[in-house]
Amino acid sequence: MKSRVLVVDDDTALAEMIGLVLKTEGFDPVFCADGDAAIGVFRSTSPDLVLLDLMLPGKDGTEVCRQIRAESGVPVIMLTAKSDTLDVVQGLESGADDYISKPFKPKELVARIRARLRRTDEPAPERLTIGDLEIDVTGHRVTRGGTAISLTPLEFDLLVALARKPWQVFSREVLLEKVWGYRHAADTRLVNVHVQRLRSKIEHDPEIPEIVLTVRGVGYKAGATAT
Amino acid sequence: MTGAPRPVPRSVRRSLRRAVRRVQWALRRVVRAWRTSMQLRVTSTAIGFGLLAVMVLSTYLSGAIRDGLFEQRITQVLTESARSTSQAQTTFNTTTATTTTGVQQLVNDLVRLLQGGGSSGREIFLWRTDPDSASSVLNSSTAPQLSGLVTDDLRAQTAQGEEQRWQSVSIPDSSGTGTIPGVLVGSKVDVPVAGSYELYFLYSLEAEQETLSFMQRVLAIAGAALVIFLACSTWVVTRQVVRPVQRAAQVAERLADGHLDERLLAKGEDEIATLARSFNEMAESLQDQIQRLDDLSTLQRRFVSDVSHELRTPLTTVRMASELIYESRDELDPVLKRSAELLQAQLDRFEDLLADLLEISRFDAGAAVLDAEALDLRDVVNAAIDHATPLASRKDVWVAAYFDERPVTADIDRRRVERVVRNLLVNAIEYAESGPVEVRVSSNLTAVAVHVRDYGVGMPKDQVSHVFDRFWRADPARARTSGGTGLGLAISLEDALLHGGWLEAWARPGLGAAFRLTLPRRAGIVLTSSPIELEAGQAPEDRESDPETHTRRSDEAGPASLPDIAHLPGHDDHEPDGDEGAGPGAVGPVHELGGPR
Repeated sequence: MKSRVLVVDDDTALAEMIGLVLKTEGFDPVFCADGDAAIGVFRSTSPDLVLLDLMLPGKDGTEVCRQIRAESGVPVIMLTAKSDTLDVVQGLESGADDYISKPFKPKELVARIRARLRRTDEPAPERLTIGDLEIDVTGHRVTRGGTAISLTPLEFDLLVALARKPWQVFSREVLLEKVWGYRHAADTRLVNVHVQRLRSKIEHDPEIPEIVLTVRGVGYKAGATAT
Repeated sequence: MTGAPRPVPRSVRRSLRRAVRRVQWALRRVVRAWRTSMQLRVTSTAIGFGLLAVMVLSTYLSGAIRDGLFEQRITQVLTESARSTSQAQTTFNTTTATTTTGVQQLVNDLVRLLQGGGSSGREIFLWRTDPDSASSVLNSSTAPQLSGLVTDDLRAQTAQGEEQRWQSVSIPDSSGTGTIPGVLVGSKVDVPVAGSYELYFLYSLEAEQETLSFMQRVLAIAGAALVIFLACSTWVVTRQVVRPVQRAAQVAERLADGHLDERLLAKGEDEIATLARSFNEMAESLQDQIQRLDDLSTLQRRFVSDVSHELRTPLTTVRMASELIYESRDELDPVLKRSAELLQAQLDRFEDLLADLLEISRFDAGAAVLDAEALDLRDVVNAAIDHATPLASRKDVWVAAYFDERPVTADIDRRRVERVVRNLLVNAIEYAESGPVEVRVSSNLTAVAVHVRDYGVGMPKDQVSHVFDRFWRADPARARTSGGTGLGLAISLEDALLHGGWLEAWARPGLGAAFRLTLPRRAGIVLTSSPIELEAGQAPEDRESDPETHTRRSDEAGPASLPDIAHLPGHDDHEPDGDEGAGPGAVGPVHELGGPR
């Protein structure tokens, strides 16, 4: 079955070009050129992944992303012409899983889309614990004392990567490779932002993290498992 | 006590030294205050002149008063004593006494009478002129204890003439410690029976002395008051002038510091107010100028940034289209195929240029942020070397790396530092002319440094200062094969400055070029020196005179035998035999890459 990709971009030439590339790669693209209409199109087409331009007429990309996140954990990849830290971080904080800055190569785009879609087809029965959290890898559920915590697929993958090897310190680069599925030369900000988002959901006090610990100068590791 | 000089105790010497130092310090302060404060200078000058004037004036006045008082008193005294003398002579002439006893009685009475007769108290001395006379009438005086005041000189003069003689004397006062001025007036009288006598009147000038002292005191007080008044008025007057000047200086300084809203208070119509108004006008126009320039440059920066961003969306479309065409180039005819390849290659270059432009515009806008973490500079440099290796082998250039064996850690932004080193390496390889390129990494307490040296074409000294200029090319005639954007070194310099570091260049025609990046180990450290010499490496003369030898040496013995490793800072513990197992990226002494030699 073809994966459906929603392309939200007001530049019709670029949208059409992306559509051409996606079709040749075997995806099923749907389009939306307006920020206000985006959430409606999202609901009606229920895509497997969203490509979202940050600068849109009507609602801007950040706002659209927040709306999508409010009702779905579908992977969102931001397209941005501004790679300045602030814009990217704002985009990621609004819930995007990844971003790709213009101009990008078709291969790069496709690789990222595949990386975001891939995780759905690797089921393996597994249960993990990290801190006082229970992770049901197969069932894609995280619980604390029987209460489920809602995580996006990406946040879930990040937590699982850390929990699988609690003795290991992961550098940001390694996490990029393991969780995002590619070695992205520069951008370790992705990891930073998503660790913050993850902490805000799973830590008792995100200011004093106990589950995802920072190892200064190296990266992150899982906190001690409650005994 | 012995006569030998005892050594001064240490404590005394110390306190002496301290005192001397304190005096020197105070002196320095005074000199400094004198130099820096116009108000102090003007006021002390005024005090000096005032003091001088008051002193001259009061000296003159007190002299004049003294002389006047004295003259007046002398005239009075002489008149008085002349009258008294003639009165005494009359008394003697008309006396009826004929006996010695009678005359003695008369003399004693007369002396007492005369003492009380003057305008003020006076002492009387009646002395026989001829001491050898047989007369039995005795000398008589009202103050025998003062008889020593009558000098022989005066007596001789008095005895000779008929007129009065006078002389100034100092009378011991009653307490016996001081003296009071006095006048002694002498004249001759004839005493019946006894013969010729000298009559002396001693007048005290105590009252005049008191008057004079009082006048002097008044003068001194008036003079002091005048000087103080003068000092105060000068202080106030100069303050009125200096204060606005000080204020203007402060405001000018604030303006220079960038507080362009600062203005002077312009009140009134006088010169100071005019100065203030002109100053304000100047500041106003300066502010306008700067504001206009600022707006202009903001606009320009915004424009560069906007253009770069706006270009990106269409560029993405073009890029993707080109990529699709390029992917299927094998199905195209040769002309179209080559066109597709050119399109693809030039799009890469276009993208690089755009990225560099954006990066520069980010620096210009002050939007560049340092993402620093504690890293080993050797790892970062290794990554850059790995990146440059393909180009080095293509250009047939030998890249040798000399790293400190100790970790070279510093808080650095990996992306930026790697970019700088990559840039320097690519440049060095480009211009190395198949000569070697040497990379050194070292550190000291406060800084870490990378040094990239090539022995290629180099460039004239006057061009070195331009290498960091935007879009500047060392030699317009020389084609570049790697297609740099012309912004690389400009960005590198900005990256170095963002770290609080240095990026310096050295070059000579035919001797090659050297670039040194020095970064502080932590933010806030101000660099004063670099761990590596800017021209580190073998003496260029060696290379130039005998390049063949060098090539062979690197070839046969390997770079580990290069003699210049030893004098690199931080290489004291370096083992010259090298580490055979150290491959690229390992922490070996030598990391070699490159051409088939």
